[in-house]
Amino acid sequence: MKPPVLRCRHVKKRYGTFTALEDLSLEVYEGEIFALLGPNGAGKSTLIHCITGLAKQSEGSIEVLGFDTVHDFRTTRRLVGLVPQEINYDPFFTPLESLMIQMGLMGVEPSRERAETLLKTFALDEKRDAYTRTLSGGMKRRLLVAKSLVHEPRLLFLDEPTAGVDVELRRELWQEVEELRAAGTTIVLTTHYIEEAEQLADRIGILHKGELLLVESRESLLERHGGRSLEDIYLELIRKADGRHAA
Amino acid sequence: MSTIALKTLFLKEVRRFSKVWLQTVLSPLVTTSLYFLVFGVALGSRLREISGVPYIQFVVPGLVMMTMVRDSFLNTSSSLFQSKINGTITDILVAPIGALEMLLAYVGAAMLRAFLVGTLVYLVALWFTWFPLHHAGWSLFFAVFVTATLALLGMVAALWAEKFDHLAIFPNFVLLPLAFLGGVFYSIDLLPEPWYTVSLFNPLLYMVNGLRYGFLGVADVSPVASAGVVLASFLVLVGVASALLRSGYNLRS
Ligand SMILES: Nc1ncnc2c1ncn2[C@@H]1O[C@H](COP(=O)(O)OP(=O)(O)OP(=O)(O)O)[C@@H](O)[C@H]1O
Ligand SMILES: [Mg+2]
Repeated sequence: MKPPVLRCRHVKKRYGTFTALEDLSLEVYEGEIFALLGPNGAGKSTLIHCITGLAKQSEGSIEVLGFDTVHDFRTTRRLVGLVPQEINYDPFFTPLESLMIQMGLMGVEPSRERAETLLKTFALDEKRDAYTRTLSGGMKRRLLVAKSLVHEPRLLFLDEPTAGVDVELRRELWQEVEELRAAGTTIVLTTHYIEEAEQLADRIGILHKGELLLVESRESLLERHGGRSLEDIYLELIRKADGRHAA
Repeated sequence: MSTIALKTLFLKEVRRFSKVWLQTVLSPLVTTSLYFLVFGVALGSRLREISGVPYIQFVVPGLVMMTMVRDSFLNTSSSLFQSKINGTITDILVAPIGALEMLLAYVGAAMLRAFLVGTLVYLVALWFTWFPLHHAGWSLFFAVFVTATLALLGMVAALWAEKFDHLAIFPNFVLLPLAFLGGVFYSIDLLPEPWYTVSLFNPLLYMVNGLRYGFLGVADVSPVASAGVVLASFLVLVGVASALLRSGYNLRS
C-alpha cells in the first residue's frame, strides 16, 4: 500500500467546553478519493479546518506527507488545497485577479496563463473581468474550486462543493475531480448527497458527533451489506449511533 | 519566509485601497485640508504666533500627523476586519504565510497610504504657507514609526473586534479626541494644571510634537522624549500583534 498522504493521530478539537472531535485517527492514501460523510454538525468541516490551517486541533497531531501541520505549516499548506463550505469572495477583485492573487499567496509565481487555463476549465472565462459579486452562486463556487487548485495541491479537500450547484455542473465538477485523481491528486470530500459518494469514493468514512463510526472501502462496505444502497447503510449506522447516544 | 507571498499580500493591500482612492486618499486629503483652511488660514490670520512660529504653520505638522494616524489605522483595521467578516481571510489562512509576512504586508501597505495622504496634505499646506523643513531625519523617523505603530494597532483592533461597532470605537472615540487633546491645534503650555500634566499621559501628544519638532523645530516636549514614547508604543504593538497572529487569536478557531 502507498504511504499515507494524510495521517491524523488522536485528534481532539474542543470549542470551549464543547467537544467537536473526539480522539480521531485517520489515514488517507495517495491517489484515492475519500468521502467523509456525516450529519450536520458531525465535525466534518472542523476536521478539514484543522488539517488546512483554518483551525488548530486541541490535542493530537496531523501530518501531510509526513510533515506536521503545526510545525511544518509552510510545507503542508503548499501541499494542501481547500474548497471551503462557505462561499467567500473578495468584492475588490475579478475572478482573474483573484486567481493570480491566490497563486502569489500560495507562494507560486503568479502566471496569467495558468489563471486563464483554470478559468476555462471551470467555464468562467466569460466572467474573468466581472465583479466577483455579480457571479451566480454556482459560479462563485466554481471560482472557489479554481482557487483551490492554483498551486497544484497533492491533497485536495472539497467541503460540500456541490451544494447549490446545478445537476449539469455537478456532473462536470465530479468529472473534474476524477481527472484530478487520475493526475495523482488525493481527494477528500464531504457531501450530503450520499449517492455522489457511492459513485465516486474509493473509501468512505462516517463521522457522527465527532467520532468516526466507520472507515471502509466502498466495495467492501457495499458487499458486506449485500446489495443495499450506501444511503440505506449510512442511515442505519447513524440511527444506531443516535440510539446509542440517547441511551 | 515566502517573498512571493509577502509581495502578493502587500500589493493586494495596496490595490485594495487604490481601487477606492476617493474614500481612502481623496477624502482624508479634503477633510484635513479643510481643517487647515479653517484653523490655519482663516483663524491663523487673527492669531498671534504660538511657540514662536506663525499659527498657520504651527498647525501643519499636527494635521499631517492626525491624518497619518487615522489613515494607517483605518487601512489595516478595515481591510483585516472585512476579510474576517466576509470570509476571504480563508485565502490567507490556508496559505503558507506566517505572522511576519502578514505584519509586513499589512503594515507596509497602510504606511504607504498614510505617507501618500500625509505628503499631499503637507504639499497643500506648503502651497499656502511655505516653510523650510527643520529636520528631515526626525520628521521621517516620526512619520515612519507612528504610522507603523497605528497600523499595528489597527491589526490588533481588527483581530479583537467582533462587529463593526467595535472597530468604530478607535478612530472616533480614541484617536480623534486624543489627537485633538494632544495639541494638534494648541501648545499644552497654554493649559492650566491639572490639564497640562494630564496631557503628558497622552501618547498622541508625543506623536504630534515629534513631527512638529521635525517640521518646525519647536515642540512641547523634547524630540528624544517623543521618540522614546513612540518607539516604546511601537515595540509593545509589534509584540502584541505578532503574539496574536501567531496564536491565531480570533482567526483560526
Ligand atoms: N468556531 C466554532 N465555535 C464553536 N463551535 C463550533 C465552531 N465551529 C464548529 N462548531 C461546532 O462544532 C460542531 C461541528 O461542526 P462542523 O462545522 O464541523 O460540522 P459539519 O460536520 O461540517 O456539519 P455540516 O454538514 O452542517 O457542514 C458543531 O456542533 C458546531 O456547532
Ligand atoms: Mg461542514
